[in-house]
Amino acid sequence: MSLRKRSERRGAVAIVTTLMLALSLAMPTSALALTTNKATARPNEDGGSSVIGGLDTRLTWEGTVEEGEEVTEVTLMLPDDGTFDGATTKITVLDGLKRAKLEGEAVANGSQLTVTFKEPATAGYLLRLEVEGMRFPSEGGDIVVSGSYVNQAGEQTLADSKPIKTIANTPLQALVAQLDEAPWVQAWNSNPFLGMFFKPQLLATAFATLVPGWLLCLLIVVIAYPFAIVLGLVFALMKISKHRLLRFISTLYINVLRGTPLFLQIYIMFFGLPMMNINIDNNVLGVIVIAINASAYLAEIFRAGIQSIPQGQYEAASSLGMNYFQTMFSIILPQTIRRVIPTVTSDFITSYKDTSLLSSVGVMELMMFAKNLTSVSGNMTPYVAAAIFYLVVTLPLIKVVSIVEERIANSERGGGPRPKGKNAAKAAEASNGAKLSGLAVHAQALDDEHAYDSAMGQMTPSYASEV
Amino acid sequence: MFGKKNDPMTKFDVPPAMDANEAARIAFDHDLPLSKHHFVEGEHPVVRIEHLMKTFDGETQVLRDVNLNVWNGEIVVVLGPSGSGKSTMLRCINLLETPTAGHILIDDGEITGKSSKEVGIIRRDLGMVFQSFNLFPHLTAKENVMIGQTKVLKKSKEEAEAEAIKQLTAVGLADRADYKPPQLSGGQQQRVAIARAVAMHPKVLLFDEPTSALDPELVRDVLGVMRELALHGDMTMIVVTHEMGFARDVGDRVVFMEGGVVVEQGLPEDVFDNPQHERTKQFLGSIK
Repeated sequence: MSLRKRSERRGAVAIVTTLMLALSLAMPTSALALTTNKATARPNEDGGSSVIGGLDTRLTWEGTVEEGEEVTEVTLMLPDDGTFDGATTKITVLDGLKRAKLEGEAVANGSQLTVTFKEPATAGYLLRLEVEGMRFPSEGGDIVVSGSYVNQAGEQTLADSKPIKTIANTPLQALVAQLDEAPWVQAWNSNPFLGMFFKPQLLATAFATLVPGWLLCLLIVVIAYPFAIVLGLVFALMKISKHRLLRFISTLYINVLRGTPLFLQIYIMFFGLPMMNINIDNNVLGVIVIAINASAYLAEIFRAGIQSIPQGQYEAASSLGMNYFQTMFSIILPQTIRRVIPTVTSDFITSYKDTSLLSSVGVMELMMFAKNLTSVSGNMTPYVAAAIFYLVVTLPLIKVVSIVEERIANSERGGGPRPKGKNAAKAAEASNGAKLSGLAVHAQALDDEHAYDSAMGQMTPSYASEV
Repeated sequence: MFGKKNDPMTKFDVPPAMDANEAARIAFDHDLPLSKHHFVEGEHPVVRIEHLMKTFDGETQVLRDVNLNVWNGEIVVVLGPSGSGKSTMLRCINLLETPTAGHILIDDGEITGKSSKEVGIIRRDLGMVFQSFNLFPHLTAKENVMIGQTKVLKKSKEEAEAEAIKQLTAVGLADRADYKPPQLSGGQQQRVAIARAVAMHPKVLLFDEPTSALDPELVRDVLGVMRELALHGDMTMIVVTHEMGFARDVGDRVVFMEGGVVVEQGLPEDVFDNPQHERTKQFLGSIK
């Protein structure tokens, strides 16, 4: 509904209310007033405690008839989109602790519910209306139940109830409501295993609820990982360094971090730093812990990768006159990176899963959300949903690892795509140019008279036959 | 031109009047080793190895006392049984091995006992072709030839690329410029490696058994390239090899090593046809 329309309606309601107020002030018996004791609604959120608008719920309204009043009719009104249509109303009238024999009839008409009593309700009577199957406005908000009643002096305004907190009805909640109704869901949930681990309604709720936690997991690991890679590389280079002290520091770092559980490292960082009056945001600290932990593993991966590069590569680079850094960054590391991509990806998967441990120290990540939802619903389904969230990331990465491994193995065998023919043609053309410009020293030696077939890339010196 | 190969002197155009007898006379007068190379009077050797010694792990003595001079433009072929120290000598010249004792002078400049920074500068003058090629597998053939020029010689990319294409053309692999080493045959890889070394325009090119890791049918391609380089470039080459045909054909001088010393050296035909030393005779006999 458009805002304007809503405000118009509000205006109309306000005018009606004002008119009624004016009317009641004009009445001499206005001192007598039916009090509104309470108006509450039953939570209708699956796995939650909220009241959702637009979905069936139960409104309980209670009012007490004042001294000298004889109430014959009570009308409850909901704002705008609320509806009583299709609701069944249970009318209870209590006289003290006893149930009064007072019959009434409820007639629903859109956002209005009128209860007419056959006999007037007299002083001290408690009127309780339980309207099952009514709906609050689907956009949610603080809902005030207003209305009017009729006593012997005519129509009176009913005091407004305390606001009822409702939340908007999202497509998800609509879906959950739909699932609640669906016969197959009921049949499904009647199976103890399916109902406990794969309850459709909870699955839907969990998918929506867990997203922020999932994003935080991804964010933590995605931010932590580049730091871990740089840190890991530094420690890897330190570990293969000639200097004993650097080697020692690196070995200590790697062994301590790899030799202790991440859980312990998390506890030390999260509880130790605040005790030293160092207060870092939980999420940032989570990034730091994951980065430091991963860097130790990456350092070992990089070290092994660097050392797997044959000595000949170093010799070839240094015979060209390259220094240590040129050799490392132009020759060794590019080859290392290719080789370690699968292992590093596996390690990334591990780090991503390890973020779950941060739930133990209150980082609001995936596991935390799942745990909360499970404790509210008493159902295992949120954990299954969390598992799916982990798998959505890890399964494709596992696939990537195997594809990359295959491609590396293939290219080391000399497989893989060949350059396109036109490149070769271009190269030949360029070489022609070089020849013509007279730059080539021994290109000149390869004049026509020599048995040199550039198209074949083969050289057939005649003397070879004499070897 | 291959037809002229039986007359070793024809490849030396300057001075045209120079013949074998005169070269031999100059060599004798100046106490130079017998070589097909044309010596210029008063010239210093480009590589001078004096009493070179190399011991591994403090016990295995690979080089005992190597003395060898190599002149500018000379093609010196080093022969010898395995374990004679020829590869170690070559690696010492390039400082891939640190000499235990003795001196190596390149263009009269001492290269032993230098800092790693100086070693890098010295190595620019010394191209090396390895037995196992040692191409950089993550780079294409062209990039392999370019990388030393751009990183070490600080040439522009365009300059380096032009040079790379030129050298790849010279070794007959212009059409393989964009291939990566694993996609090339062993012979092609070794030719790229030669192009890579030549592109740095070193003073001396060192070949460490460049054809030993190749299938026989690929050997001739590589030898062909080396031959072209020897005959038409002005490169000084020290070639450790087992290719006797190449040594005889292309070498200006043959050096025979055994037990960490130079046992015999001289004109290829002298050493091959009329070896003086007992070990040389034995070695050449076992080859034949």
